Amino acid sequence: MTLASPIMKWLAPSMIRSVVISVAALVIGLLILFLGALPERTALRVAGDEAHTLDVRLSQMRATVATAEHQKQACDKLMAERDALVTSGVIEPLLGSFSMRGKNLLDPIARQTGFHIDGVRELQPIPLQLPKPAPEQLHYRQPVEFTGQGSYTQITAFITQVEASQPLVALSGLLILSQPQTPETHKAVITFEWPAKGEKIKTDKLPKK
Amino acid sequence: MNTPLHLDLLNDEERFSSSPIRMRVMLPLTTSFVTLCLLLWWSLLCLRTHSQAQYKEALQQAITSLTPAHSAVLALRAQEQEYRSIVRQLGLYKNARNPYGKMLSNLAEHVTPTIQLTQLSVPPPQPPAADPANPLFGPTNTFEAVTLHLSGRTGGEHPSEAVNTLLATFRTPAFTNVFRTAVIPKGSFRQDVARDPESREILLFDITCDCVPRRFE
Repeated sequence: MTLASPIMKWLAPSMIRSVVISVAALVIGLLILFLGALPERTALRVAGDEAHTLDVRLSQMRATVATAEHQKQACDKLMAERDALVTSGVIEPLLGSFSMRGKNLLDPIARQTGFHIDGVRELQPIPLQLPKPAPEQLHYRQPVEFTGQGSYTQITAFITQVEASQPLVALSGLLILSQPQTPETHKAVITFEWPAKGEKIKTDKLPKK
Repeated sequence: MNTPLHLDLLNDEERFSSSPIRMRVMLPLTTSFVTLCLLLWWSLLCLRTHSQAQYKEALQQAITSLTPAHSAVLALRAQEQEYRSIVRQLGLYKNARNPYGKMLSNLAEHVTPTIQLTQLSVPPPQPPAADPANPLFGPTNTFEAVTLHLSGRTGGEHPSEAVNTLLATFRTPAFTNVFRTAVIPKGSFRQDVARDPESREILLFDITCDCVPRRFE
């Protein structure tokens, strides 16, 4: 007040009123600016960004939902393709044994061709190459070894008919041995392999795309 | 002595500046106007924030209502991807399938009476190379070599000619769809010394054929 007093004395009362009103208005204005408008503007910007994000998400969701019918058709088509492949030659164990399954599948062909199956043995499964992205349901190669006897013609007829009747079977090993005691009958060890259903693994354990 | 006498009868508040803009009026007017403008701006901002919040809420509701359908489509998409990958994996296997039955049947027709095959073998495949750190990822190689070995005996006047004819047959179009190369390994053409002296004219031979590899592609 010691400094203000001389100024106050010098200023006219109407001017003092004017200055007081101006200072008060200025203080109120600054309070509005810093405590009201600027924080509100920041909040509005944040809300605008959030709304934009939601808007984009909603647009994407709508676009995705719009493909539902097409997606279903594509899914059904691929399911049919997979089912056709699986039923055409993916084998499952019979009574817990792939050798039983193999014998069950090939016995009729062996009888038809005259090849005599003496024994069937299930070999170690072989892992199958993975496509990218890898499926959760894996398949592997399951070899089954057939030991038997027959003439060369019977053996080759057996192999040819198995290959013709089983779309996914592959000859993975063969040994035909002539036997001096029975020149017309040979010993044969034939290994056929089929794809078989493997384990189902979690997506996070699979290789990246 | 005429000394001019100056009389100032005006009060302080009655004094006027020569300027047309009076500070004591303009200053409070200007600051009040600015404050009012700021107030108006703040009000507008509040209004816009409120409408933005309502818009956000509407978007949230739309998203919530669309979520089940969206999740269903995503599940379908994941299912489709899974089916596609299974079909591809089985396709890799199917593409690597090379039939041998017909070739084996044809083989008998090309074996002359002077040749007797004693053994025919296709060794089982070697265990595929897999990433030891990630055995679940499957083999890293995409093809598997297949070799066919033939062993036999031959006699007659020109035993080597019969074998060479058989070897030449393996290089004809009837076999080249299965065999890439067919060779008699060095030293495999030999006399049958294990048998009685009368059979010494019989020659033993081996033929190794590199077959078209199985390509898991």
